Amino acid sequence: MNPAATENAYLPKIAVLDRVVDEIAEVKTFYWRFEDPAEQAAFKKFRPGQFAQVSLFGTGEFPASLPPSPTEAETFFTIRTVGSCTAALHALKPGDKFAVRGPYGNGFPMEDYYGKDLVFVAGGIGLIPLRSCIIYALAHRDKYKKIQIYYGAKSPKDLMYLQNLHEWEKGAGVEFNLTVDRADATWKGHVGVVGSLFKKPGVQVPVENTVAFVCGPPVMFRFVIKDLQALGFHDGQIVSTLERYMKCGVGKCGHCCIGVAYVCVDGPVFTYEQIQKLGEDI
Amino acid sequence: MRACILHRDDVLKIVDLLRQQGYEVVAPFFGRGRDTRFDNVTDENRGQIQIHLPNPYHPPKRFVMLQIERLFNIQQNNGQIQIEPTYREPKRAIFGIRSCDIAGIWHLDRFFLGREFRDIYYEKRRKNLFLVNVVCTDPERDIGEECFCVCADTGPAARDHFDLQLMDLGDGEFMVVAGTPAGEAMFTDPIFRKGTDAHIAKRRAVLDVARKSFKPSTTSWFSAAVRYVSQGKVAEKTWEEIGNRCLECGGCSYVCPACTCFTVSDRRVGPDEVERVRMWDACALGGFTRMAGGHNPRKAVHDRRNRRFFRKLSHYFIQRELSMACVGCGRCAAVCHGDIGMPSVVEMIRRAAAETEKT
Repeated sequence: MNPAATENAYLPKIAVLDRVVDEIAEVKTFYWRFEDPAEQAAFKKFRPGQFAQVSLFGTGEFPASLPPSPTEAETFFTIRTVGSCTAALHALKPGDKFAVRGPYGNGFPMEDYYGKDLVFVAGGIGLIPLRSCIIYALAHRDKYKKIQIYYGAKSPKDLMYLQNLHEWEKGAGVEFNLTVDRADATWKGHVGVVGSLFKKPGVQVPVENTVAFVCGPPVMFRFVIKDLQALGFHDGQIVSTLERYMKCGVGKCGHCCIGVAYVCVDGPVFTYEQIQKLGEDI
Repeated sequence: MRACILHRDDVLKIVDLLRQQGYEVVAPFFGRGRDTRFDNVTDENRGQIQIHLPNPYHPPKRFVMLQIERLFNIQQNNGQIQIEPTYREPKRAIFGIRSCDIAGIWHLDRFFLGREFRDIYYEKRRKNLFLVNVVCTDPERDIGEECFCVCADTGPAARDHFDLQLMDLGDGEFMVVAGTPAGEAMFTDPIFRKGTDAHIAKRRAVLDVARKSFKPSTTSWFSAAVRYVSQGKVAEKTWEEIGNRCLECGGCSYVCPACTCFTVSDRRVGPDEVERVRMWDACALGGFTRMAGGHNPRKAVHDRRNRRFFRKLSHYFIQRELSMACVGCGRCAAVCHGDIGMPSVVEMIRRAAAETEKT
């Protein structure tokens, strides 16, 4: 029997905050671990693209993407302050306790993509969920053919995961392309929306036998989909992860429904083909 | 023996037997005005329990899916956190639950106990629940203006999912059907007598009259509405018309025996103590999908109306739960100020379809 059947699905487990790293304005990365090592070991079996419910008692609970790859040692969240719960998390100090439950959702079927070219297109904090897949793919480098990353942010100050960006730039089996919408005095790289990178001289986006991961703000998403379709991608080759407010994460509270789907259990990962068949706008 | 005969004067003895077995029994009563309600049975009010009365607006759903329920008690002391799940699982019997509400609880069972995750709070309470169904046979007192269980195929006599079912045969006798071994175990009491073929014939005749006592309702178009909603054939304009009449009070969800949505909130109950509670929520309400920061993907009222009826009627969700989230109780129609309860919406869809086909 599925162990979830006899457990209290809403019961969060105590987590300890280890350290906090500033990413960009209003965005920090929170390294944490479960107080109980057995919980930590069980949680570490998550798949890229899954999410967790984070509890700040007295304030509430919110869903958060998992930016780490299961191949990495540490568990962490990268969170922007937008509401009361995220603000409460930002107020925590190393050593403070909060609670986490999960992992939830379908995640990206990374094994199904073995033998394919992978194209990652991220805009702004859309890199948070895609980071997991990128690190995972690079950790299983021999399973995939080309790996390309296209990452765009508003300005050089809005680039996240700088250490990872430097690693990818150095080109360990990955073609990395970076852009900003607005340059500053220090910026020497490409300027323009992320889709403009596809037309940059020297860039060749593989289409046949390719999966394109797209994640970013709604406007970026719409334009990148059009760009990819123009390149010849069909909708089933484009995958993304959707966001909704969730109270339970386990398909019961009803808040995250889009058309026929409960984003928490049927998603959050959908192909663009599936997204169009949900029966409701995302 | 799955069915027995019971004298009218002995019907409430079922309540007594259940109470003797340690059940907290809830049963229907008249309220102070014209209202009716389910309430706990006590020695004082036991004599006022009603067999035939309009089904209370506030559905007995609330005894399995609590309107407000504490999930956890959380103690925070000196940097330590202790989380204690709080379960409320009384041994409870609902006496006089109507067939539509039996179907409602069955839908909740399918939803909360089905699929990958089970809702343990619901499950614990459900395991301790004993259901005594009363079939609606009295056209004056039982069958309401808006009732359409005959269209939703849930009544007037539930086919399953009760422990005991009572049907008034009209001449001082009730037929009692056991739906579960727990129900059948009650038959050892001497108040239950063996029935005859004449009783079975009488049951059939009573049910036949009851079925014909329902208003010839527009919801006879119900299954066609299911198809229209499922296939997205209801025009945006129709949803807008429906949306324009919605006052966004959430009453339809509040009285619905099959609505399942809830929200969760933390509340401070002491300097170091917090409770996590959940409470009923409704997709009719504007804040239902609002995310932190204010973005709301489903803002317009007609989108939310569309959502409600899609969730209840679409083939997709009927297949997903093998149960429809509308049981034909008619409560949404009775409470809606804008007259967009289920029967009226089915009618609006029918008229819109008729107009489209004309042009």
